[in-house]
Amino acid sequence: MDNQTVNNVVDADAESEDISESFLCCICLDLLYKPIVLSCGHISCFWCVHKSMSIIYKSHCPICRHTYNHFPSICLMLHLLLSKINPIAYKRREKQILEEEKTMGSFSPQFDSHSCQPLLDHMGNSAQSFTIVNESTSEGGIHENNGTTIPVQSSGGTVAIMEKNSPKNKLNGNRKQIAVTDVLCSACKQLLIHPVALNCGHVYCETCIIKQTDEKIRCQICLCLNPKGCPKVCLELDRLLEEQFSKEYALRKDAIQPNKVQSNHESATTCSMEAGKLGFNASFLSTGEQLPMWADPRSKIYFGVGCDYCGMYPIIGDRYKCKDCMEAVGFDLCGDCYNTRSKLPGRFNQKHTQEHKLELVKPIVIHNVMRGLMTGQLEDGSSALILANDIFAPVSDDVQPQENTSNTDNIIEENESEPAS
Amino acid sequence: MNSSIGVGGMPAASWVSTTSLSASGKRIQREMVELNSDPPPDCSAGPKGDNLYSWVSTIIGPSGTPYEGGIFFLDIIFPSDYPFKPPKVIFKTRIYHCNVDSAGNVWLDILKDSWSPALTITKVLLAIRSMFTNPHTYSPIALDIAHMYLADRAKHDELAAEWTLRFAK
Repeated sequence: MDNQTVNNVVDADAESEDISESFLCCICLDLLYKPIVLSCGHISCFWCVHKSMSIIYKSHCPICRHTYNHFPSICLMLHLLLSKINPIAYKRREKQILEEEKTMGSFSPQFDSHSCQPLLDHMGNSAQSFTIVNESTSEGGIHENNGTTIPVQSSGGTVAIMEKNSPKNKLNGNRKQIAVTDVLCSACKQLLIHPVALNCGHVYCETCIIKQTDEKIRCQICLCLNPKGCPKVCLELDRLLEEQFSKEYALRKDAIQPNKVQSNHESATTCSMEAGKLGFNASFLSTGEQLPMWADPRSKIYFGVGCDYCGMYPIIGDRYKCKDCMEAVGFDLCGDCYNTRSKLPGRFNQKHTQEHKLELVKPIVIHNVMRGLMTGQLEDGSSALILANDIFAPVSDDVQPQENTSNTDNIIEENESEPAS
Repeated sequence: MNSSIGVGGMPAASWVSTTSLSASGKRIQREMVELNSDPPPDCSAGPKGDNLYSWVSTIIGPSGTPYEGGIFFLDIIFPSDYPFKPPKVIFKTRIYHCNVDSAGNVWLDILKDSWSPALTITKVLLAIRSMFTNPHTYSPIALDIAHMYLADRAKHDELAAEWTLRFAK
């Protein structure tokens, strides 16, 4: 086991495909795989984002601590871009992640590498933003996949050797494969400039998205509402565009300049660095902006359950669960998404179809108990969580050791102080 | 390690993720490579033995502090779901410092609530090193030491230097 992992790392080094620093995931420290762009513009892998999300409260960007509540969809454009820029390393990552997924038993969305290409054209008519491999998660599918990746891997290896002989060509050769058509704005169909990725994973120019917005931003392709304000520019992608297409980029920049001045005041997506610094309690306290739903006494929270359409995690409000999806990960929708009935596939490659029946799930914890917990916590910051730990023992154990540790101290202090007084 | 253990108790928690051991192992290995190629000043760290999840580290007390010249040994224990949970850092060398409790546990915000999976051991070691220079007196674990630091800095430094001489040299 250990030997194997050592070998893998060694392999990765031997492969020495020039992975740009900006495309290393800050969490796994490897090449980004199935990248997700958070609303603050930082990129991470699908699983890295998912695993770093909190199941009970707001999640924070690992880099800037920007708060968010929705698990964004994979940015397909970046996915394709990375597989073109670092084909060998990306294949290796694909194989590695698939193996991990097999042991985990849940899967990330599988893209059919062939159907990805025409996708940009036919995306317009249906909300189905990616095609799911038919065999999806079934055992057969995996083996098939493995069967195909192994020969590819070996051929990739020979390519690597060939390329090593001419290291200069390698870089240029790879980079040349990116065309302007790979990085078009979903709205203006021109080269992206100051790209922002929405929650649904579609990428727009910052100016295109600001122009159309009055209140909430709606993706023009999949018609999804973007949950929270205007996302910030993905600087890594912007830098790549500027490097790769310097001429086109400069042209676009000049064209956009006058518009930019007008829209500048609107682009204020407040950086929530402060919120992150203040931490857990602070984000609870500022109920008005941060968590409107929590202030509502009727609100229900489903810890550890996410909406498979909009990505809200945990689901706050109504929860609808699919009765027919057999995957361990399940298939759930939040109230809003249930009502709009959009047709996006599940986040974890579930084989959910329109025929499946969904049922409203009753919250496990009665709302006023929840309410009590929340208010209790707001008041003294400690006792509620102790209670919460008791009630949700199985979850809280592996979820929030930071609260656990900090609160156990409070318990001790309380216990000590009480008899004394 | 088994995915079903964590989830089993709570049927509603369908999206709860599980971390595979190999993913954390790979990340730790990458950090090891990074640390060896570009070690932070006055710090070193590496696995104790065969176990990748149990490291030992040394930090040399920075000059200009009462800890100057002391060699402090630390144990670093990575959880199996690292980097989504912070590593545990314990001083094995006794130290007179308001952010280290008597058992050697380091009470730094980034090792508790403020942990982020983007942090690495290199950054943690740097944070601990800066803790030598600037004790976090606003969130101390050893109250008396923090009091001493604020009220009688000379006495605090004298005691800290004495401990360093006694335990860390």
